[in-house]
Amino acid sequence: MISRRSEVSHLLLALASIALVTLIYTRWLPVSSAATVSTTFLLVVLIVAATSRLRVAVITSLASMVLFNFFFLPPLGTLTIADPQNWIALFAFLTVSLIASNLSAVARARTEEAVGRRDEMARLFDLSRDVLVITDSRQALSVLARTIARRFDLEFVAIALPRADQWELFSAGARTMDLDPRELTHAFAAARTSFEFDAQARTYAGHRTMLVGADSVRLVPLRVGTRPIGLLAAMGRPIEPGTLDALAGVVAIAIERTQFLEERKTAELTRQSEDLKASLLASLGHDLRTPLTAIRVAAGNIKTAALSTEARAEQSDVILTEAERLTRLFENILEMARIDAGAVPTDSRWVHPSEIIATAQGQVEQTLRQHTLSVDVAPDLPVRLDPRLTAAALARVLENAAQYSPPGSIIHVGAAATSSGLEIQVRDHGPGLASSDLPNLFQRFARGAAAKRRTSGTGLGLSIARGLLAAEGGRIWAENDSEGGSRFTIAVPAAVKASEAAAHSSE
Amino acid sequence: MTAQPRILLVDDEVSIQRAVAPLLRSRGYHVDVAATGAEALTMADDSTPDLIVLDLGLPDLEGTEVARRIRAKSKVPIVVLSARGSEADKVNALDLGADDYVTKPFGPEELLARIRVALRRVIADSQETGSFRAGDLTIDYDRRRVVVGDAEIRLTPKEFELLSLLARNHDRVLTHRAILKAVWGPNAVEQPEHLWTLVGQLRKKIEPDPAHPRYLVSEPWVGYRFATGEPVT
Repeated sequence: MISRRSEVSHLLLALASIALVTLIYTRWLPVSSAATVSTTFLLVVLIVAATSRLRVAVITSLASMVLFNFFFLPPLGTLTIADPQNWIALFAFLTVSLIASNLSAVARARTEEAVGRRDEMARLFDLSRDVLVITDSRQALSVLARTIARRFDLEFVAIALPRADQWELFSAGARTMDLDPRELTHAFAAARTSFEFDAQARTYAGHRTMLVGADSVRLVPLRVGTRPIGLLAAMGRPIEPGTLDALAGVVAIAIERTQFLEERKTAELTRQSEDLKASLLASLGHDLRTPLTAIRVAAGNIKTAALSTEARAEQSDVILTEAERLTRLFENILEMARIDAGAVPTDSRWVHPSEIIATAQGQVEQTLRQHTLSVDVAPDLPVRLDPRLTAAALARVLENAAQYSPPGSIIHVGAAATSSGLEIQVRDHGPGLASSDLPNLFQRFARGAAAKRRTSGTGLGLSIARGLLAAEGGRIWAENDSEGGSRFTIAVPAAVKASEAAAHSSE
Repeated sequence: MTAQPRILLVDDEVSIQRAVAPLLRSRGYHVDVAATGAEALTMADDSTPDLIVLDLGLPDLEGTEVARRIRAKSKVPIVVLSARGSEADKVNALDLGADDYVTKPFGPEELLARIRVALRRVIADSQETGSFRAGDLTIDYDRRRVVVGDAEIRLTPKEFELLSLLARNHDRVLTHRAILKAVWGPNAVEQPEHLWTLVGQLRKKIEPDPAHPRYLVSEPWVGYRFATGEPVT
């Protein structure tokens, strides 16, 4: 770009040059041939025309002509042109300056265009790279609009996607504008019907300009193949139509890509939920069938076989144990449904941690039959929380510990009231947690690698524990204990009474 | 066979052991219990049971694998307990040598009936002759003659082959696959429609009431059994 200021200095320099040429030839280097002088003037005009603007060149050539005429063409000292030949010299000056400056102007414009193109190509390239790293499909389009505004220095950018009965807009930039949905619809309808490449305008059909207040916003259709899927609106720095079209192409691909990512995620979720259903059915099938079989056979034994009193008691015990197992399963399913429905009521009150542990222990007495529970509560200060939920969650953790540690081993339960609430730890002497199990430990139907072969156990317990605790703002996590086995920690936020006396006074 | 048949019960569920073992003992069987596949294989060798009741869901080995290894060494009848409700496991176990199956939850009589039938088949096998009788049906293997009541029934060669296969393995479930392979050859195992047609023809010829067969009993989705005695439910 040549500024007005540099144009003036160019002109001054040019005029100085021809003045110098005149001075040289009149004072220090007198030449007889007017041809030599005119060639020198022509050279200056050519140089000026090649490096500066047309008008500078024209002014220079006129000035050269005047000086040439005045100082070197007879009659000297006048501006009259006696010889018609001299008209030709004058015409030559003008022609040379016009052609040369025209050529240089075209070349300069080409260069400027090339530089501009290179700049926009670089922006497009950066943008497409940005597009590839966008992975969160929910935010993708807003991020994309922001990226375009930043990369192309635009004041306003919007990606408009047609939805059932309205336009969904993702806009960015320093300005905010209201795009008229009717105009968008109109532009979109036009993009639908025309999609030929217009060779003369070097752009695809469907580009439009829309007036919002005093600003004109450019609308470009977003196409996948030839099918328009939306519109791109841009306002601010002027952008080449070709670039705009390429930009719209990148945006369209980005939209397709995010939609693809979204679909893939949905498909993955569907598949997971199918897997969950299948494993639920399989494990529920087993967990229902085994107790039912045992109950049927044991009841049949009591009814028909001639059993000793002892054997009869044994058979009733089988029935009771299995009935409890069915009850637990039923409760688990019910609890899971409640958690899913977000219908877990909480009811906080003052309670001693030791009571919670005793309650939990009582709930899973049968499962814990073959294990020894070692309880350590210090200090046993009253805490204010929902004892039912906490105990139910703890029961699931105890049940889990019993299932995953050898019969006859000890399960340690430790509880402590901390400043932020109650913390309960359950430590077992089982094989510990496999690192592959850790990420999904509290997921529904997650079952330890070692337990996969066994058919009992639904993989619901820990996920229910987490769900119950979440309802009262609590957390549960697991780690491997330094002494082997696994350690589960339940943390429930709660108010803690500093002393026993205070607890009683407030009750 | 001793006076008191020995049954090996293989199931890792304590409740099943506690309920089924007394049931079998009360009916005069001697019962050994194994909780794992490995234990079952050892005890099958050591205590030479007359029959094995095998649960398919074991903690260490697949039940089907246990069936295969036992069958490799012995002809002891195997009744499979399947809790999975999955037909594939059952069919697999039967193809690998199991004789019959009971699906959990089952009642005591159901299991006892299967055990009686499987044991009876062993007794019958040990007295195998050139002919076979069940109800009013007589099959003469040597002369390839079939008589129902007083009337001789004319069977096509394939029909006779199918009938004698099922009769020789009477009271045992033969899977569709096993039957197709034996009667039509290994290339036919994916074409069960051959079997359905042939069973239909055969039932019309030998069954007193083809709609409610008493000899050629279907085991839905699994296979067929030739039933000799009491109807099993």
